[in-house]
Amino acid sequence: MKKLLQIALGILAAIGGFVDIGDLVFNVEAGATFGYQLLWVVVVGVVGIIVYSEMCGRVAAASKRPVFDAVRERMGFGVGAGVLIASQFVNLMTLAAEIGGAALLLELLAGLSYRGLIVVAVIGLGVAIWVLPFDWIERVFGYMGLCLLVFVVGAIKLQPDWGAVGHGFVPHADTGNFLLYAYFAVGLLGAAMTPYEVYFYSSGAVEEGWTPKDLGLNRANSMIGYALGGVLSFALMITAGALYLPKSIEPQFIGTVALAADVPLGTIGLILALVGMLFAVGGAAIDTCLSGAYNVSQFFGWEWGKHRRAAAAPRFTLSWIVLLVLAFGVVMTGIDPILLTEYSVIFSVVALPLTYLPILLVANDKAYMGRYTNGRLANVFGLIYLAIIMVISLTAIPLMILTNGGTG
Amino acid sequence: MTEVDLAVGLLDHQLVDCNGRRCGNVDDLELSLAGEPRVEAILVGPPVWRGRGRLGRLFASLSRTPTVRVPWPEVEKIDAAVHLRKAAPEYGLGRGDDRLRPWIERIPGS
Repeated sequence: MKKLLQIALGILAAIGGFVDIGDLVFNVEAGATFGYQLLWVVVVGVVGIIVYSEMCGRVAAASKRPVFDAVRERMGFGVGAGVLIASQFVNLMTLAAEIGGAALLLELLAGLSYRGLIVVAVIGLGVAIWVLPFDWIERVFGYMGLCLLVFVVGAIKLQPDWGAVGHGFVPHADTGNFLLYAYFAVGLLGAAMTPYEVYFYSSGAVEEGWTPKDLGLNRANSMIGYALGGVLSFALMITAGALYLPKSIEPQFIGTVALAADVPLGTIGLILALVGMLFAVGGAAIDTCLSGAYNVSQFFGWEWGKHRRAAAAPRFTLSWIVLLVLAFGVVMTGIDPILLTEYSVIFSVVALPLTYLPILLVANDKAYMGRYTNGRLANVFGLIYLAIIMVISLTAIPLMILTNGGTG
Repeated sequence: MTEVDLAVGLLDHQLVDCNGRRCGNVDDLELSLAGEPRVEAILVGPPVWRGRGRLGRLFASLSRTPTVRVPWPEVEKIDAAVHLRKAAPEYGLGRGDDRLRPWIERIPGS
């Protein structure tokens, strides 16, 4: 019974923690531009993150190794160092984007100046990481993120053309502007499969001391939690498609996203949407920040972990503080957070194969995994997604240039 | 006796001391090729990164920490990590964390 409760709570946290600034921006922009046509891409992305987070949760439980131990052991120091630099660059950009998004949301909730609220957001995040134990971080932000379910209610209340929604789940590319369609497809995949999610998931599993006994928990969290989390992505896109496409509104501002809940549900809907987005983005910021510290500590073999006192893992602690300060500097330059989000998602796509390949290799290694190596299903999906990731990582930057960053 | 593939099963693996503290990675191995080839020691620290690619050289040039040599008999067992018999400071491992600790301890709640 206790086990079931633990699994249920884990699933809830996974749902609430699924959405981040990248999902918010790309789902809403894709919905406003192409209606429901790209829903099938979200399905592809959600299945991808399920496949790889299940795999690295299993690697963590069976071999006690987080992702960056595997990266260095299997790719060596030289290549591993390259992966480290690329992933830290992406982590920094993602963190800066999440902080900027949090400040924009605070601005809508509290109405103070944007720059002042960046300071508030960074201090709030720093204190939360410092004070809260690992499982509390996951739960507080995950549960509050569940406020985003208001978008599901909103999407239904808007009475979209369900036939068109259903058609959106069938893969197709029926558009006059194929490049823009492809750009959004790549962005949606990148937003669903952001690398920090697997870094954080696997390091978290090691922190919580998972053993093969926890493989059920791993499967429930990754499969059910992320699948239901994907429903939030559908809801965002459907809401945007129903609301903005007919009126040709281009949501260039995060407030437009929240308004999508205001129109069908009124002020309560608007506040729930803003609070949900704030905690979703804040939780993602913490995950990203800690991921950066996990990666560098694991690569160099330093002591790491939130389950230890800060002073028991000094370089790990310093790493996340430095990353938070650097991201603060990036946001304070005044760069548009929405633009920053798009760049961070597109660059993260470029770095994805470097993250997923070593996981796939280790998950097939008997010396690491014993009898928990990948089954045929995990390998078929793992290889298919590795191929998809290769394609999108090669096309991401050309598409961004050709479509002028999605502005057509 | 268990077989260990030195390149995949030992190199770049995590070192853990007798208190369960993570204290570096197996950055390189010292081999003796006179007679029966065998591993003499585990080498840890930035200077040995120089032999490990361009980025290794770059990272090594940014640090002044010396190489630590852990003689092979100090290895107690190898599983997900390489476990050592004594505490990290006795080998000179984990010095970066030890030097930084007093600063982190100044922050309340550390």
